[in-house]
Amino acid sequence: MPKFLLVLSLVILASCSRTVTRVEPATVIDLSGRWNDTDSRTVADKMIYDLFDSQTFKDYAKQLGRKPVIVVGPIRNKTSEHIDADNYVKKFEMVIHNSAIAEIVESGDFRDKLRTERTEQQDFASSATAKQFGKEIGADLMLFGEMTSETDTNNRKRVVNYITTLFLTDIETSKRIWYGQDEIKKLVKN
Amino acid sequence: MSDQQKVKRVDSKKFARTSAYVFLISIVMLLVTACASYYQKNFDFNHEFERGDLQQALTSLEKNSKQEQGRARFLYMVNNGLLLSILGRYEESNEYFEKAFLFGEDYHINYLNEAASYFTNPSVTTYHGEDHEHLMVLYFKALNYLKLNQHEEALVECRRLSIRLNQLNDKYNAEEKYQRDAFVNTLMGIVYQSDQDYNNAFIAYRNAVEIYQNDYAKMFGMQVPEQLKYDLINTAYWTGFQDEATKYKEQFGMQDYEPVKPDAELVFFWHNGLGPVKNEWSINFVIDPVANNGVVFSNPELGLAFPFQLEEDDHKKQSDLKKLQVFRVAFPRYVERPAYYNTGSLELDGKTYALELGEDVNKVAFYSLKKRMMQEFSKGLLRAAMKKVAEQSVRKEDEALGAVLGLVNAMTEKADTRNWQTLPHSIYYTRVPLKEGANAVALTLKADEEHATTHNFTYQVKKGQTLFHTFSSLESTNAPYRYY
Repeated sequence: MPKFLLVLSLVILASCSRTVTRVEPATVIDLSGRWNDTDSRTVADKMIYDLFDSQTFKDYAKQLGRKPVIVVGPIRNKTSEHIDADNYVKKFEMVIHNSAIAEIVESGDFRDKLRTERTEQQDFASSATAKQFGKEIGADLMLFGEMTSETDTNNRKRVVNYITTLFLTDIETSKRIWYGQDEIKKLVKN
Repeated sequence: MSDQQKVKRVDSKKFARTSAYVFLISIVMLLVTACASYYQKNFDFNHEFERGDLQQALTSLEKNSKQEQGRARFLYMVNNGLLLSILGRYEESNEYFEKAFLFGEDYHINYLNEAASYFTNPSVTTYHGEDHEHLMVLYFKALNYLKLNQHEEALVECRRLSIRLNQLNDKYNAEEKYQRDAFVNTLMGIVYQSDQDYNNAFIAYRNAVEIYQNDYAKMFGMQVPEQLKYDLINTAYWTGFQDEATKYKEQFGMQDYEPVKPDAELVFFWHNGLGPVKNEWSINFVIDPVANNGVVFSNPELGLAFPFQLEEDDHKKQSDLKKLQVFRVAFPRYVERPAYYNTGSLELDGKTYALELGEDVNKVAFYSLKKRMMQEFSKGLLRAAMKKVAEQSVRKEDEALGAVLGLVNAMTEKADTRNWQTLPHSIYYTRVPLKEGANAVALTLKADEEHATTHNFTYQVKKGQTLFHTFSSLESTNAPYRYY
């Protein structure tokens, strides 16, 4: 009986405390096997490397004679998980912005908000400070993307292959300037 | 040893015994009042809620506010949340639902109470909540936010639902357990769609269809709601997934369907009837000793047999167990409250929109308990065995004290009858296209061809808006409750 009580007390002591530990964001921690922060980071790193190395992109910029302007278009998610593409697209944008190989202009909702603000400035701001219409920088390239996944399961094993594809397309000519793809394959055993 | 010392020892033994009697008798007195089921204990509230006297039910809940700190605090929070939601007090409702959600997040097993439950009954533990109850917390919370027109907050609940669904999916390895929820995926799609996030809505709808086809068809005999088929094709089309839209049109035999965006929409949820109530039932078991230090608890009538292996050095426990012969063990079971209404529909401008079954909460509850009944049997038997062994050991020392303990054990033998009893029996839904301005919609609920009731609503809507409405009919049939 005392042995039983000792074990019980140890179990109680061990189970009643919750621990929280801060870890380095780059630490790889896989719990469920689903898409996680490590995958987002891997995709962003791989894609940036692909873009920087792309000869067609360098040729395009050289021919343009200035830094190309990029607008981010839709990144479609065809997987069965709710993955927020912003997690890696924002990283991707930030590196492009900081590396000064291209300019980025706002897209989507954010651009609409700027336009609303500009419109309101015409009525409410002083004429010296009200921003003018027609001065937005038109983008040269649009970044598109798509995420797909293939899943194979058998008993307690699951293989998921996530394929992330990003491409930059010339808005004027519809010509594809750069194409990047990254695959992440995971084997999950329950 | 002197006589004086001897007298002292006898006195202290007598004192200990008397104290034990007093202690046990007090427990008996306490338990006589505590042997009612959870439903019976909260009869006033349940009765008021069932007959639709919601204000009075809320007053009854408020009177028992100390329950918020008690072992069934999860139920106190969700009952408040649900009641306030029906009363249209969405913000207050969500305060309670948030507490219930956090309770589920932070819950950890109190092993001391767990251990105590093996010597008394499971009601001494904190009620954690069933899997489907935790999903329902977020379902109601998301709906409250949608009614408050707070889409960002509703999307947060959607993301939480996604995490909860993943956790549920990872929790069980065995197949044919309730580990995926089709309706919750549908709701997520509806929320994403109302935010024009068609891509995420498509993913949620596609997952929902897959679960209805593979899990719900088998487990609950349910079909994919027609509305879900339309929503899946619409969102595939609006995301730009033409191939998928064509594929699903063919799969559903809807080749001629072309998605059209209406001016505005109404998503209508009908909460029909009341979910099941947990009750208890008892089984008598016989103990048969078998070879290799084993014993088998069996009930030949029900075809149940549970072998227990005792350790080699556990001879004492084994011999105690072998003396037990017959004992009673209590287990939980659900009792259905069959809904009075069977079908519902909405009518607008001469067109009828059928309300379709999205979630049969009653069946989900029954199925979940059925699938874990083996676990419940094992827990109940272990509890009974431990109580009996304790009783036998005491009997050896003191027959009378052992008899009192036997009485206490018999009286404390009780199943955990706690569950969320204000949930609906089943949830139906449909989507109605609205035109800008005023729309007069009639809701008709039918018990059969002769018994129907109609409610009229007028919705004022702006272009591009999605309205959300829930209607709760709490009526149950007077037919005897069904046991499963």
